[in-house]
Amino acid sequence: MFEELLDNYLRFLESLTVEHFIRLFWFYIFFEFMRYFLLEFFVLNLWKLSKLWNKKKYAKAKKEFHFEYPLVSIIIPGKNEGKHLYKLVQSLNEQTYKNTEIIVVDDGSDDDTPTIGRDLEKAGRLDVFIRNEVRGGKASGANTALRFTKGKYIVHLDADCSYDRDAIEKIIIPFYLDKDVAGVGGNVMVRNYDESLVTTLQAIEYYDTISIGRVVTSYLGIYRIISGAFGAFRADALEQVKGWDIGPGLDGDITVKLRKLGYKIKFEQEAVCLTSVPNTVKKLTRQRLRWDKSLIRFRVRKHKDVLIPNQAFSFLNFFAFLENITYNLLLNFKWYFYLGDMLINYRSMLVNIIITNVLLYTLTNFFKFVVYSLYRARTNASYTYFLIYIPCMVFYFGYYLRVVRTIAYIQEFFFKQSYKDPWNPSKTSVHAKKMNL
Amino acid sequence: MAELKVNREESLVEFAGFKFLLINSEDGLNVDRVQFHNAVIIDGNDRAFIRQIVRRIRSDNQPDIYLKPIFILKGININDPFVNKLVDGTLFSLDQIELIIPEVERILTKTKDLHFTNSLSFEAQMIEKTISFMYTCEIQDLEPIPYIYSSNNYSYPILSVNFRQRDEHIALDILEIAEREGIFDSTYIDRIYLCPSCQGGHLTYREVCPKCGSSNSTTEDIIHHFPCAYVGPLSDFTNEIDDQLDCPKCNKRLRHIGVDYDKPSVLHECKACDHKFQDFNVKAKCLACTTDNLVEQLKGKEIRKYSLTKKGELAAINGFVSTSKDIEEIIGTVKFETFVTMLKYEIERLRQTEGASNICAVHLSNPSQIYSKMGSEVQKVLLKDLVKVIRSNIRSSDIISFQSSSTIILSMNEIPTRIAKRILSEIIDMLKRLIATTFKDIDVEFEYEVIKLDYKLSPQLHIQQLTKAFG
Repeated sequence: MFEELLDNYLRFLESLTVEHFIRLFWFYIFFEFMRYFLLEFFVLNLWKLSKLWNKKKYAKAKKEFHFEYPLVSIIIPGKNEGKHLYKLVQSLNEQTYKNTEIIVVDDGSDDDTPTIGRDLEKAGRLDVFIRNEVRGGKASGANTALRFTKGKYIVHLDADCSYDRDAIEKIIIPFYLDKDVAGVGGNVMVRNYDESLVTTLQAIEYYDTISIGRVVTSYLGIYRIISGAFGAFRADALEQVKGWDIGPGLDGDITVKLRKLGYKIKFEQEAVCLTSVPNTVKKLTRQRLRWDKSLIRFRVRKHKDVLIPNQAFSFLNFFAFLENITYNLLLNFKWYFYLGDMLINYRSMLVNIIITNVLLYTLTNFFKFVVYSLYRARTNASYTYFLIYIPCMVFYFGYYLRVVRTIAYIQEFFFKQSYKDPWNPSKTSVHAKKMNL
Repeated sequence: MAELKVNREESLVEFAGFKFLLINSEDGLNVDRVQFHNAVIIDGNDRAFIRQIVRRIRSDNQPDIYLKPIFILKGININDPFVNKLVDGTLFSLDQIELIIPEVERILTKTKDLHFTNSLSFEAQMIEKTISFMYTCEIQDLEPIPYIYSSNNYSYPILSVNFRQRDEHIALDILEIAEREGIFDSTYIDRIYLCPSCQGGHLTYREVCPKCGSSNSTTEDIIHHFPCAYVGPLSDFTNEIDDQLDCPKCNKRLRHIGVDYDKPSVLHECKACDHKFQDFNVKAKCLACTTDNLVEQLKGKEIRKYSLTKKGELAAINGFVSTSKDIEEIIGTVKFETFVTMLKYEIERLRQTEGASNICAVHLSNPSQIYSKMGSEVQKVLLKDLVKVIRSNIRSSDIISFQSSSTIILSMNEIPTRIAKRILSEIIDMLKRLIATTFKDIDVEFEYEVIKLDYKLSPQLHIQQLTKAFG
């Protein structure tokens, strides 16, 4: 059986011509290989060169930052996060940059978060602890925290994360490199990478899409999502956009709002944050459905004006949106088109086409993972640990995430399901839906 | 019928053989004169004057003065609860003096029951003074009264009169000691909080900024607008034109709390340091020393009602020489409880071995006479000397303890009883010689007892047997 399959496959390879190869694997060549390898690799090198080129500029910015020594307000909104607070505050108290204030907002927790928070406040480990008796949602929690801040820069964190000793310092410096920068995203890595296969695959995914992918989009000026786990903002810019809007997907939304005002958004690879990711397929699916719905809700619906030429039109914003919509939404459906194309035209070769696709993607993944290690700031585990899991990535990325994304898009596009997500209290979602927010 | 003689020049009123000191002006009082009279009558309308006189008499250290009955002439209404607890009655005129004679007689008779000793410590002295007064006036309970002039806000007049206002907290410590000594039983009345710096109870509680401690702050409700998630103080939403609430972020009008907005918390802003916060710190400023204390740092004290026990009554009659703490401080001794524990172990040991161990007691037969002639420092010297002599004549493994200020008990383990008796007899001789040379005017009488330990009996029974002969 296997020998017959192998024999058949080798015959298929022998018969492949260049034209034939392009016809059969156009999806991989034109979309995946071009965008996610060639372009990425090219930009990464440019970025690396510019980093060397700008070394002095960076040192000057760092000096300027330390000379000014601005107050940085760290805000941590959340519900039932008491158990994480001590560890988090400990990692924040360890920071190399000391002129910070820590503001925790307890958004209607029903566990012992208020007791823990008040104790930490009393002990002077955090500056302000705010308790909202009734849950208002992540956005209102963050906005409440914002009212209590005094800093020039606001760093938004998730309570279940921890941070490198120099993370706060590193995430603020980009503001001094370019005065138009209003937001900087931190580099998020997976803390529990060895907990299960699901977390290991996510760790590889984060190394690729965040540690590398965001360097590329940031360099191209189309970086579009400052993750809620670790992001820094200029306080005056946040004041201009009047804080966060209702989620889910509020971190991407605020980034767009800032970009629409003409501000630049940057990614700082060396500002490292460790987070715990979902450890089961069920939890991961739920998380990704929520994330993916926000593409429709925010890009296609709420901020569709970015695509329309008007007075506030910005080519970079347009390009960032187009890239996002093309590669996430259209490409997702184009893949089904490719599948249909193969099914209709090359049904007899389908097994060989799938095998080749898997091999092509796996080879690319291996190559990327190894070569890109030269471009990552650091990892929180040995590279070799992940190598044996790389073959799984094609199924994780190419099949599992694609299916989840398709479901999310359909749910949101046709049924506006994100407004029913219990992640947000319904009292707020009902208004957001009415106002198309 | 007895004749009433009033000599205003001499400030003397005589009736039925009793001499009353008539006090009608502050300057006229020399408290020493009180001791030559049977009672005191204060003639005056000035409440402050009356309060002053009563305080001076009751806070004196001589029983001949502080125990004397005090009456107030003219019967003005003294609405000072502190003074009311310290006087024995009122008269509308001297013609009514006959009515107070039984009271004076009773107090003076009860005073004669008392033996006064010089107590070993200030605490013991205050306890003795309080219980003597309670005994003579037949007061069973020492009740706290809420009193605005007390630094603790509660006062025990009989005891507190001995202290200046700022030192009244000492009364609470003394009462705790007296209860530990078995002089009083107590029941809970209230709880007070005192300044940790000066022990004052006059505190003003304020909500202050957790950052700088200032009480100067403003407070505003925080509003959460549901549709756009804007969160801000009420003033952000206030519309000056029509007094309605409009969202500064999305310009929508706020209509219905709970439907399109709510007020999840409040925002306090310190006007001194601009700190914004949700929870105040509560601080208690001491009005006496101006220290600003966090409420967690305040010293909590229980206010209790104290009732005199039988032991307390006996202590009032026989004199109260020392507290356990006073004698525990004497070097070379162990606490009585420790002695009993070690005795228990020794009895247990004897159950398994066939040794012979003993406990002994040395008792001062006439403690009232001795202690009344000595000051507290000399008393301490005497006790230290006694312990020193005993310690140098017994083995280092044997232990010494005070059962009371007049009874020393010690162990003599692994030694025949007859030898123990001989050693103790020699010790007594030495003690007598020591007293004769060191304290020449004092005649000290000793009794002593030695018993062999019996493993069938408890430690308590051994001690009862050992000291029963001393009465």
